[in-house]
Amino acid sequence: MSVDADRIVSGFESGGHGAFVESYDEGERMVINMGPVHPATHGVLRLKLELEGETVVRCEPIIGYLHTGMEKECEDQNWRGAVTIVTRMDYLAPFFNEHVYSLGVEELLGLEVPERGRYIRMLMAELNRLSSHLVWFGTQGLDMGAMSAVFYGFREREILLDFFEMVTGLRMNHGYIIPGGVWEDLPDEWEDAVERILDVIPGRLDEYEELLSLNPVFLERTRGVGVIERNEVVALGATGPIARASGVDWDMRRDAPYERYADLEFDVPVEDAGDVYARYLVRMAEMKQSVRLVRQITERMPKGEFKNLDPKVTPPDRSELGRSMEAVIHHFKLVTQGYAVPPGEAYAAVESPRGELGCYVVSNGGTSPYRVHMRDPSFVNLQSLPVMVEDGMIADLIASIASIDPVLGGVDR
Amino acid sequence: MLWFRAEEWAARADQLKADGWRAIDLCGVDRLGVADAGERFEVVVQLLHMGRKERACVHVAATGDPPTVPSTAKVWPAVNFMEREAYDLVGIHFDGHPNLSRILMPDAWEGHPLRKDYGVGKVPVEFVPQPFLQIDAPGQAATSEGAGRNVDRLGQPVAGEDAVSRPDGSMSPSGAIVPNGDES
Repeated sequence: MSVDADRIVSGFESGGHGAFVESYDEGERMVINMGPVHPATHGVLRLKLELEGETVVRCEPIIGYLHTGMEKECEDQNWRGAVTIVTRMDYLAPFFNEHVYSLGVEELLGLEVPERGRYIRMLMAELNRLSSHLVWFGTQGLDMGAMSAVFYGFREREILLDFFEMVTGLRMNHGYIIPGGVWEDLPDEWEDAVERILDVIPGRLDEYEELLSLNPVFLERTRGVGVIERNEVVALGATGPIARASGVDWDMRRDAPYERYADLEFDVPVEDAGDVYARYLVRMAEMKQSVRLVRQITERMPKGEFKNLDPKVTPPDRSELGRSMEAVIHHFKLVTQGYAVPPGEAYAAVESPRGELGCYVVSNGGTSPYRVHMRDPSFVNLQSLPVMVEDGMIADLIASIASIDPVLGGVDR
Repeated sequence: MLWFRAEEWAARADQLKADGWRAIDLCGVDRLGVADAGERFEVVVQLLHMGRKERACVHVAATGDPPTVPSTAKVWPAVNFMEREAYDLVGIHFDGHPNLSRILMPDAWEGHPLRKDYGVGKVPVEFVPQPFLQIDAPGQAATSEGAGRNVDRLGQPVAGEDAVSRPDGSMSPSGAIVPNGDES
């Protein structure tokens, strides 16, 4: 095929992307697979693409490469033990998984969480939102050619993971939030550690904005790219930053408050453009709001119990085990058998970094969940990818995937 | 909480959609062995009304074999993937779904893993009964079938139903087979 120089030039002049498309004939269509192993698909996401030259005509996400049957595994655990399974689903936001599962179980049990427990949960959730968005920031920048973004994002995330490790003992997959509260109280030096985080992160966020927000290359790659309209977002069930970047003013923390979010002050950033850049702006603003929330939570952190001490669900304190045989039996029963949950079903939802994370739990009165279903936002949000990318360029597809920020561990569960 | 029969679900879904409800979640549930269950399979849909800030939960009983409910993927495109997931993992068929195929499991997979009669570990694993038990470390209990019941540590049948004897005639304390002998 000969390349027509005039067409290339006119392509540049007509204000397009400057890319040259060989032919629009039917016969020139090409179907290729992007992924499941591909650096820009953020995990084992496979996209079946129908291309006309560089233009994506059809895009079909194919998932399941990371399916490990976690919902089934939960049915084999006791109610407390399933926390350790659900936390591994969306591995960038483990606290949210534990949180929403615990909220569901608490609703079935009618279990109250003490104030301090609620504030610790909110503290960990907001810090986790920061750490998750920092990974998104890094990968979005990396996919747009801003290599340094990924170094900066992961550098700051490390500060947060260190804090998680200090509190829970693990960097990821904590199993920290349990039905009834949290597993352990915050360590003594937690306030200093949060203070150190709050000293560093806000300034770094400003640096990021300087780096990317007005960067001409970044703007060119993201503005007007991957546009999804408000009605499409609602129809396709997308939630979280994707919906808010298309003008859906909905945040569970404000509109269906759980824990003590109603007592805290924060804004819900909303954009109208619905493109990759709008999603970028929403997430950057959300990080600043999370910092604001962490500040308020630290100031208001109440004293007292951090978990419900109802002996039906909470084993006796370790100090009692050496003294009381009954305490040992009690402990043994709860650890080996677990507690029974009254029959019923509950749906709980939290605002995870990726949107509405829901958990539907069913109990038949036994000591293990009868059914645990997680409504993972990545799974649902992925449905809006074809709408964003069809009739766009392949390079814009990369930008759109990064802006959806899917975590395949959550998609496939 | 609303309960619908499968045959009325399509009309009800249109109505709910017109009232401004959006489907936020959909999953299949297998109620095998639950006492008060009517139909074994049901589809649970979580609805959200953003204007009124309300939530609702809808149960649709799936009837027939295979269990079938009408698809609402045309009413709420959001449930497209979720219906495929319910089909894949629980085996509920959605009438009128544009592409009802497996989504998480491999295409050639047989069975639906989230059904209650598809237990964890019930996929047969091909263990061949070993004539000799292989015991590697002291204190490690043998796990293959027949161990600890009627054979000694060399796989020889022993007298008595549950006795596990050591070669020197003593009983192992836990009932598990503990290697000894050579070093003692």
